[in-house]
Amino acid sequence: MTELEAGRAQALLPVRSGAALQRYRDVLIALIAFAVLASLPMFTGSEALLDFVIRCSAYGLFATSLNLLVGYTGLTSFGHGMFFGLGAYSFGLIMQKLGVPIPVAFVATLAITAVIAAVIGAICVRLKDIYFAFVTLAFQMLIHSTILSWASFTGGDQGLRGGIPRPVFLGIDLANHVHLYVASCALLILGLLAMRQIAQSPFGYTLRMIRDNAARASFLGIDVWRAKLTVFVLAALFASMGGMVMALFVSGAYPEFAYWTISGEGIFINMLGGVSTFLGPMVGTVLLLLLNDTVTRFTEYHGIVLGVVILFFALGLRKGLLDFVAEWYTHRRDAGEGR
Amino acid sequence: MDLDALTGCLTSSACLVTQTTSGLIIGMLLFLVAVGLTLIFGVLKIVNFSHGAFYMFGAYFAMTTYHLTESFALAMLAGAAGTAILGLIFERVFMSRVYGADVLMQLLVCYAFVLIFDDVVRLIWGPEFKSMGMPAAFQVMPLFIAGGVVPPYYLLLIGVALVAAIVLGIGLSRSRIGKVIRAAAHNPGMVSALGINTGLIYGGVFALGGMLAGLAGALAAPVRSLTPGMGFSVLIESFIVTVIGGMGSIVGALVGALLIGLIRSFGSLGFPLFTEGLMYLFMVIVLVSKPTGLFGKEAA
Amino acid sequence: MTRTRTPGISRRSTLALMGAGAMSVAAPWVARAQAKTVKIGMPTILSGRVAQLGTSSRNAVMLEVDKVNAAGGLAGRQIEMVVRDSKGAPQEAARVARELVNTDGCELLLDGEASSGSFAVHEVARDLGVLCIHTNSEASSLTADPKQHIPNAFRCVRQGIHDSIVGGSYAAGIAKAKGLKKWATCSPDYAYGRDTTGEFTLYLKRFAPDVEVISESWPKLFQPDYTEVVTKILQAKPQALYSCLWGGDLTSYIDQANIYAMFAQMEVFAVNMADYTALTVVKNLPKGIHSGNRYIKTYPSTPENAAWGDAYKAKYNEYPTNWSWQNATAVMFLAEAAKKANSTDGKKIAEVLAGLTIKCPFGADGTVTMRGDDHTLVGYAIGWGTTIPQEPYVPEVKAGDWKTIFELEAEWKKSKGYT
Repeated sequence: MTELEAGRAQALLPVRSGAALQRYRDVLIALIAFAVLASLPMFTGSEALLDFVIRCSAYGLFATSLNLLVGYTGLTSFGHGMFFGLGAYSFGLIMQKLGVPIPVAFVATLAITAVIAAVIGAICVRLKDIYFAFVTLAFQMLIHSTILSWASFTGGDQGLRGGIPRPVFLGIDLANHVHLYVASCALLILGLLAMRQIAQSPFGYTLRMIRDNAARASFLGIDVWRAKLTVFVLAALFASMGGMVMALFVSGAYPEFAYWTISGEGIFINMLGGVSTFLGPMVGTVLLLLLNDTVTRFTEYHGIVLGVVILFFALGLRKGLLDFVAEWYTHRRDAGEGR
Repeated sequence: MDLDALTGCLTSSACLVTQTTSGLIIGMLLFLVAVGLTLIFGVLKIVNFSHGAFYMFGAYFAMTTYHLTESFALAMLAGAAGTAILGLIFERVFMSRVYGADVLMQLLVCYAFVLIFDDVVRLIWGPEFKSMGMPAAFQVMPLFIAGGVVPPYYLLLIGVALVAAIVLGIGLSRSRIGKVIRAAAHNPGMVSALGINTGLIYGGVFALGGMLAGLAGALAAPVRSLTPGMGFSVLIESFIVTVIGGMGSIVGALVGALLIGLIRSFGSLGFPLFTEGLMYLFMVIVLVSKPTGLFGKEAA
Repeated sequence: MTRTRTPGISRRSTLALMGAGAMSVAAPWVARAQAKTVKIGMPTILSGRVAQLGTSSRNAVMLEVDKVNAAGGLAGRQIEMVVRDSKGAPQEAARVARELVNTDGCELLLDGEASSGSFAVHEVARDLGVLCIHTNSEASSLTADPKQHIPNAFRCVRQGIHDSIVGGSYAAGIAKAKGLKKWATCSPDYAYGRDTTGEFTLYLKRFAPDVEVISESWPKLFQPDYTEVVTKILQAKPQALYSCLWGGDLTSYIDQANIYAMFAQMEVFAVNMADYTALTVVKNLPKGIHSGNRYIKTYPSTPENAAWGDAYKAKYNEYPTNWSWQNATAVMFLAEAAKKANSTDGKKIAEVLAGLTIKCPFGADGTVTMRGDDHTLVGYAIGWGTTIPQEPYVPEVKAGDWKTIFELEAEWKKSKGYT
C-alpha cells in the first residue's frame, strides 16, 4: 500500500469493522464454492463437465481481471488479451526449455508479466477513453506480430509444439485430468478472492473515484497515474494466470491467445454478465461458453445466432445479465418497502 | 532487415515512382474506407466496428451486378448505392437505439452485426472465395512514367478516391448541408432545436460512410478475392489510419491513409518481415506523442 | 481411449440409445453409452475465411463414408460422422476434439484442422490415446519430428517437402533449358510458406547450381493488397518467380500482378495454382503458369480418378479441392485397416495402418501407402505442369519420381536432426 492509500485507509477506519466482516463472509463463500467444485468429480464421471469448468476458470480469471480495469477504474482496454497470451507463452516456454517445477514457472511467469505490464502500462495509462483503448490494442497487435515473427523462439504460427511437460510437484500431477481440474478451480477461487479483496479495499474505492471523477481524485491528492498503473499491472497478473490455465488445458500456447479477438471476447463477456457487480464477468463467462458450446453443436452459422443474442442483450436488456437482475431486485425491494 | 534495398530504391527514379504510386494505391483505397469511419465518429460519436462489413457488401454487390450485366459502371453504382441503403437501414433501425449509451454497448451492437453480416454473406454467396474479374477495358499494358510502372486501373482508382476526398472536403466546409452536419456534430441539441431533423442527418451520414466503404469494396473487387470476413483486415488498417490521422478529421484520414500506404510500400523493401509491425509501431508512437492523432482536435 | 464392444444389442444399450438424443440437448456433458454405430469425430474449420477447407473436407468424407456404409460399414458397424466447427482457433479445436471423444462418444478422430489447430488436436490425441488421422495439416514437423510422434496419430496429407523436391527438380530442368538464373520468391509469412519456399530453393539450387535468388517477399496470410509486393518484384527484374501462396491469396495476387503485366515478364512457378478452387475462380488466368498438382481429375489420368472427381461434382455441384482427396483417402485407409483388423478398436486399427498400402484413385501407381516409421502418407500422385485458362486446365503433368523423393527426404530429415 502506498502512503496515500494508507492515509485514505485511516480515513475509512470507522467502516473497518464492517469491511472485516465482509472479508470473512467472502472467504467463507470462497471456501464453500471451492468445496462444491472440488467434490464434483466424486459425483460425475463426465470429463466434458470438468473441461467446461477448467475453461471457465481460464476465461473467468481473464474476464474478471478485465473488469478491474473496465468496471472499477473506467479504463476500457482493447488489448488485455496480450497478458493472457503472455501468461500462456511464458509458462509454456519456461516449462519446455528450463524444466523447472511448475510452481517456479508459475511465479516466474507472474514476475515476467508484472515487468512487461509495468512498461506497457506506464505508456498506456497516460491516455484516456478511446485513445487508451486504441493504444492497448496497438500493443496487443505488436506483441502478436512479434510472436508470429520470432518463430525460432515462439514457434511462430504453429505455436509451442510438443506439449507442455508437467512434472509432479507436492503430489499434484497436472497430467491427471482430475488433478488439473482441482488445481484450476483452486486458482480460480483464489484469484477471484484476491480480486474481490482488491475491489473492496481502500485502493479499490480510490479506483472507483478515479472512474467517476479523475479530476476530483487528483485534487484530493491521489496520484491518478500511479493508481491506474498499479491496477493495470494487477489486472495483467490475473489475466496471465488465466492464460496459464489455458496453456495447461490445451498443453501448448498458440498465437491466437495473444490476438485481439481474445480481448474482444473478454469485453463481450463483461458486457454479457454485467460490469457493475463483482461476479458479473464470471456469470458472463459461463453464459458465453455455454452458448458457444451449445450453438456450435447444432449449426455452423453460429455467427447469426450469437449476433442475435448479443443484440438481445444490447438492445433489449441494455445491460449485462447480472446488472439487470441486480437492478430488478433493488427495484422490487424498493417497491415493496414503499408499500 | 534489408536497408540496402531501401536506399537502393530511394536513389532510383524508376523504383521511386513505382513504389510511391503503389503507396498511393494502397493509401487511397484505405482512405475511402477510413473516411467513412472518421465521418461517422465525428458526427455520431460512434466507433463503427462493423464498417468492414460495408466494404465487403460493396464488393459482393459489385461482383454480382458485374456478372449479371457485364457493366463495370453499373457494378460500381450497385456497390455504392447498395451499401448506402444498407447503412441507412442499419443506422435507423439499430444504431439509433444506442446513441448516448455506453461506448461498449455501441461496440457490442456493431460486433453483433460483424458476426451476422459475415454469416449472411456465407449463406448467400457461399463459403468459397470469389473473383469478379478485370473488365476488358482495363486489361491493357501498364503505363511507364519516368521508368516506373503504373497500371491504368489504379489511375482510375486513385482518381475516384481523390474526387471523393475533394467533394467531401468542399461539401462539408462550403455547402449548407455540410454546415448543418458540422453543427450537428458540435451541438446536436441546438440543431434539433432549430427544427432540423437530426435523425435524418445521422442516417444520412451513416449512409454516406457506408457508401464510401462500399465504393472502396466495389473498386477493390476486380483485384482482390472476395470471401466472407474480407472486411476485417481492411477494418483494422482503417482504424490505424483514423487513429493516426485523428478521429473525426477528414484531412487526417487522407494523410494517415497515405502514410500507411507509403510505410507499406517502402517498408516492404527495407523490413520485409516486419511491415505489419511497423504500422503498429507507428501508431503507438503517434498515440503516445499526440493522443488525439495528427489532425485531431483536443477532446471537448 | 477406445472402447471395445460385445456384439448383440443389450437392453441397456438400447435404452441408452433412445435416451441419447434427449440427453445431448438436455445435458451436453452426459456421456453416452456405446452404440451400434461407430462414431467418428471431425473437428475442422467451417466458418470464417477458410470455411471452404472444412466444407470441402466434409463433403469428401461424407462421399466416402456413404460408400463404406453401403458396403457394410467399418468392420460391420455403420459409421456416423460428427463434424464440428472449431472456427480455426486452437483452443476451440482442442475443446471440440475432447468433447467429441468424451461427450459424443466418438471412437476415432479425423482431424480436419490446419496449422496451429492440428497441433492442438495432436496434443488431445496424445492425452486421450484416441486414434487420430490428420487430414489437412501440411506442417512437416507434425510427423517428421520424432518428438511429435505418438503411436495413435497418422497424417494423410501431401507434404511441402515432397512438393519442393519434385518442384525443385522440375523447375531446375526449365531453368537450365531457358537460362533462368535470377529468381524471386513470394510466399505467405507463416510456417508453411517459409518452410516450403526454403526447401524449394534448396532443391532448385541443387539441381541447377547457377540459380540465384535475388528477391524475397513475405506478405502476411490473408493480406488483401499485394501491390507493394508486386512492384517490389518488378523492381528486382527476376527471370522467374516462385510462390506458394494459395486459395484466395493466390487469386488476389494473380489479379493484382496481372494488371502490372507481370506474367509476361517472367516465368511463374506457383505450386498451389493447379487446384480447382483457384483455377475456376481466376477470371483472366494467365497461360503457362507452372504448378504442382493439387487435385485435378485428369491427373493421375485413370478412369478411377476421373470417376471420383465426377461423382463429387455430381453430388455437390462443385469440383473437389486438394483437401477433398486427402480426407477421402483417410476414410479409405480407415475402411481398409478396419477390415484387415476386423475391428473398430483404435489400437488394432493403428497397428494395421502403419505401413498399410491401399488401392486409391489418387495414388501415383494406383496405390498409396501410410509409411510405417513416421505415420505419413506417401506414394500419392505428384507432378508439375503448366496451366491453360480452360478445362482441363493442366493438360500435361510431368510426374515426380518417388524414388528420388525418398532419397532426398531422408537426407532432409537428417539435416533437420529428425533421424
